[in-house]
Amino acid sequence: MRMSGLVGASALAFILSSGAFAQEASLDLVEPIAEYKIYVSEKLAKLVEDTTAFTDAVKAGEVDKAKELFAPTRLSYEAIEPIAELFSDLDASIDSRADDYEKAEADPEFPGFHRIEYGLWEKNSTEGLAPVADKLLADVKELEGRIASLTFPPEKVVGGAAVLMEEVAATKISGEEDRYSHTDLWDFRGNFDGARKIVDLVRPLIADKEADFLKTVDANFETVDTTLAKYKDGDGYVTYDKLTDDDRKVLAAAVNTLAEDLSTLRGKLGLD
Amino acid sequence: MSPPDPQRVGVPSSRLMTVALLGAGVLALAGGGAFYLASQKALRPVEAGLIPVRVGDKSCEPMDLTVPAGRTVFEIENASNRPIEWEILDGVMVVEERENIAPGFRSQLAARLKPGVYDITCGLLSNPRGKLTVTASAHSEAERAKPPLKAFIGPLSEYKVYLTLQAGQLIQGAKALSSAIESGDIQAARSAYAKARTAYRHVEAVSGRFADLENAIDPVAAYLALREEDPAFTGFHRIELGLWRNSSVADLSPVAEKLIVDVEALRDRLKTVRFEPADLTGYASREARRLAEGAVVSGDSLYAGDDIAEFAAAVDGLEKPVSLLLPLASEASPDVAKAVTDAFAAARAELGKLAGSGAVPVAYTEVSPEARKGLASTFVAIADAIDRINPALGLE
Repeated sequence: MRMSGLVGASALAFILSSGAFAQEASLDLVEPIAEYKIYVSEKLAKLVEDTTAFTDAVKAGEVDKAKELFAPTRLSYEAIEPIAELFSDLDASIDSRADDYEKAEADPEFPGFHRIEYGLWEKNSTEGLAPVADKLLADVKELEGRIASLTFPPEKVVGGAAVLMEEVAATKISGEEDRYSHTDLWDFRGNFDGARKIVDLVRPLIADKEADFLKTVDANFETVDTTLAKYKDGDGYVTYDKLTDDDRKVLAAAVNTLAEDLSTLRGKLGLD
Repeated sequence: MSPPDPQRVGVPSSRLMTVALLGAGVLALAGGGAFYLASQKALRPVEAGLIPVRVGDKSCEPMDLTVPAGRTVFEIENASNRPIEWEILDGVMVVEERENIAPGFRSQLAARLKPGVYDITCGLLSNPRGKLTVTASAHSEAERAKPPLKAFIGPLSEYKVYLTLQAGQLIQGAKALSSAIESGDIQAARSAYAKARTAYRHVEAVSGRFADLENAIDPVAAYLALREEDPAFTGFHRIELGLWRNSSVADLSPVAEKLIVDVEALRDRLKTVRFEPADLTGYASREARRLAEGAVVSGDSLYAGDDIAEFAAAVDGLEKPVSLLLPLASEASPDVAKAVTDAFAAARAELGKLAGSGAVPVAYTEVSPEARKGLASTFVAIADAIDRINPALGLE
């Protein structure tokens, strides 16, 4: 009796853990979400440091130096973009595009990195950018402070990987983000690293049940890596216009599949 | 490839569509396709059960929506002449969004919403936002009194982040303490000691449960057979004895080095703790009572006498995990949440009173037994208040 009871209990435990309740979120997510927040905090510390140097250059009128620092500074921001939905106001003031404003580039409200990018590359000048630079630095500092006291909703972290891949697939792939400097490949590097970090952190939770899914996702991240590697230049990347049509198609296909696949990750972890 | 039917586009196909359009790199196609699709959509009515939102050049239509809590599917029509993204915002947080809806297109968005008032975006950043009111349902009322397990993942993660960061501070503090002792700088050692202790107090609700590490890091002489002469008298208080009572760093180097090893082990141990939702208040409540019965009455920093600062750090450490549950607790029972907030405020007020108004807080030796009892009772009140949280959240 006792034996069969044990067998029954373990069979039940097996069923519970492997199928019937697969959609229930598990406390196994606590550790990955905590580690992700620490990852974000480290990126933000770097962002504040780099943005300080970048905005100093802008304010000192050092156009060449500012141009040089633009893309590497953005790298940390782009890496945490999966969770940009948690700070939509600061995301707008740090990283919005001219299209978001009625008068586009001429709109006095057009702020942040891309406003400075426009000045540096289109006007080859830092004229009028000092207040924009001050505001940008204040915004990234506020972001760091705000994130420090923010509890990350797990569904936003896990869902963020897909949301960002969707954005890359839908808009960034056209080269719209860094349209004046064409440093888009740097941003892609940050975006893919940031999205992959999330996948890697939750990997142990789904490694057994979703081996095929992970294989496909990994293969697409690999494709992206291989493609980006072709355009490496020193610590960074060549301009986006150097990307061949064929490679753009390869990237588009990979990111498109990543967006589709990763949109199921929330559900697989019981976070829908 | 034939254009997808805009009436039927769900999440994935709307994305495929935009990717297909942009991926082809021919914006003219988007214009032409949009026109074609726009001309088709008028033929069919909006699907039943969908909440339609029409985004024009300047505003949404309607600007004010009300839906019940739970899952709602919105159908967003871009009636403006620019591509838009549509978002549901809770403060600055995007709850759900749909990117890049081309002019003339419709896109569906499913959202699971909790009761409350949200903003909806309506095109350009400068356009006024609409209002989305989500009313309570039977299900949302039930979740208020008993949140699902996933509601605790965020708070539990955040507490682990806190413990990790504080453990990092503790290690840094122990290292600074060790090098100050090494160089014989008593003032620097005293200030490093205080810093390390603050971090230690912040994690003590949890670290106090690891008996082996607790006995290595934080033993007090009163519990040792030979008191200060006992070989097991090590860790923080041994260093405190040297720095304050003896005003000397003699013999402290090996103690400080061992402390680094022990707090590093503590960091690793903290990392492995697996908390259940009930632990967020459970650990804090137990620690508050432990302090009330022991350290607050007898004093803990017998040589430095800076107990008031240490207890203030302890209160911060108790409040952290509890504060992470307060948003849920306030939903479930505003009374309980208020009692908790008040209890912490009362303990802080009492500590402030005891510390006095001088630049240096009053030494604990100057604090009378009655005053200590008064302070202890505020710690008991904290424990009593936080003990009400778990039942309010259906955690027992």
